Amino acid sequence: MTEASAQAAGPRPAGASCALPALGPTLAALLEVDFSVQLRNYRSLMLSMLLPVVVLVAFFANKRAAALADPTIRVSLVIMLGMATIAIFGYALNVATDREAGVFQRLRVTPTPAWSIMMSRLVVQVAVILLMAIVVLIVARIFQNVTLDPLAYGLTLAVVIAGSAVFLGIGQALVGLVGSADTLNAVSRLVYIPLFGLGVLGRTDILGSTVEDIARWSPGGIVITLLAGAMEPATWGSDAWWSLLACVGYTALFVFLGIRWFQWGTH
Amino acid sequence: MLEQLNTAPLEVRDLRVSYGPTRAVDGVSLEVRAGEIFGLLGPNGAGKTTTLSAIEGLLEPDSGSVTIGGIDRRASPRAAKARIGVQLQSTGFQSALTIAQITRLYAALYGVAMSRQGSRDVLRSVGLEHEASKRFGQLSGGQQKRLSLVIATIHDPPLVLLDEPTAGLDPQARRQLWNRIEKMRESGRSVLLTTHSMEEAQAVCDRVAIIDHGKIVTVDTPAGLIEKHKDDPRVTSIAHGQVTLDDVFIGLTGEDVRD
Repeated sequence: MTEASAQAAGPRPAGASCALPALGPTLAALLEVDFSVQLRNYRSLMLSMLLPVVVLVAFFANKRAAALADPTIRVSLVIMLGMATIAIFGYALNVATDREAGVFQRLRVTPTPAWSIMMSRLVVQVAVILLMAIVVLIVARIFQNVTLDPLAYGLTLAVVIAGSAVFLGIGQALVGLVGSADTLNAVSRLVYIPLFGLGVLGRTDILGSTVEDIARWSPGGIVITLLAGAMEPATWGSDAWWSLLACVGYTALFVFLGIRWFQWGTH
Repeated sequence: MLEQLNTAPLEVRDLRVSYGPTRAVDGVSLEVRAGEIFGLLGPNGAGKTTTLSAIEGLLEPDSGSVTIGGIDRRASPRAAKARIGVQLQSTGFQSALTIAQITRLYAALYGVAMSRQGSRDVLRSVGLEHEASKRFGQLSGGQQKRLSLVIATIHDPPLVLLDEPTAGLDPQARRQLWNRIEKMRESGRSVLLTTHSMEEAQAVCDRVAIIDHGKIVTVDTPAGLIEKHKDDPRVTSIAHGQVTLDDVFIGLTGEDVRD
């Protein structure tokens, strides 16, 4: 019988300690199960990849869409769409569902720091977003001949991580402010469409230059500016730097909202 | 060392918890002694689960103190949590995980190194070795409670908190769980459990506190409670013959049905 089973069934072993567990193994265990849960939900993972790829193909196949913007802008739009989908429909809804099932309350009665429970989930979502971005970049390269130099690929993936922070922050704010999973499901759909729509409008003056300016500084708009700048580092200018600053600002705002009002349980 | 031996596994002093304007726990004080099974009895909405949640750190009390093995829960929340094992009223685990994965996860969260074989051994100790690859939702109610109990004690805590551990179980499963709870006492652990069941309180608890409207009404051994309140007019007016713990409970908390 192992020590652990003896603990479960038999007398307390002499000298059994209640020492605080080390943070490293705790985080490793959380990451292992969160990645495992993500992989088990492979259908959702596949859909996260499929939707941006389908939109990418449609963007390049459609002549009107092709005329809308440069290829790098179109790829940026698609990556932004994937980010919003994963952060809102993946992260926020999963957190809300687990909250209703009491998963967080069970975790919170352990000595695990609360931030590490969320951090582990966020790391997994950032990894999924990175994977989606890589798939989109590969598809764009193979089928659309959008080729970047190595520095641009590296910069793009770094910007994907920064953009993930904005959208995961929005997801956190949604799940923090909306209590029930059912309501969140409805609210997410309402938020998702304008979020993506504004990103698109930031690249066209179809509704006038004022709307274009506002849209360009929306969360989706700044992420597209950053991605487009990263894909063509030579064009990275003050707009991109201001967008990076806005990215930090949006992340801080949404994360604050999401943490300040986050409820661990549904009592 | 001597100081630690003399410290009660759990001391709660003048605990007050509110939900908005509603005071759910109103000045609860109790002490669970070493090797004791202490029952918290009360009708629905009396404040049992809220008291437990405040001890577990799921709720921040308005005032009062909770000391676990000499450690102030507010000052050192993680150290306090490391000393307790918890079975919540309704347990939630990630639905995609197998129970072997759940066991290993919680072992790691309490700092217990556990191999795959180790988790199988733990599951064998509660008769779940053949269910290791099942999801939590695929287990029966009794199996779920057994798994929750084994996870609550996976780090060998000196104090175990059980919130209605046998609710919804059939008589066989309930009796089996009582045996497991009694084994905890035999192994030197202390247990604080909440229950609606007088039978359970009499079967396993060394001492019982009756709580109502957020206040402790009375504390004693089950036999002591009957002895103390057998002549109370509120109790005698509802007793049919010899006064039972059920009569004492209803006499002190009223006959109205609580939601």
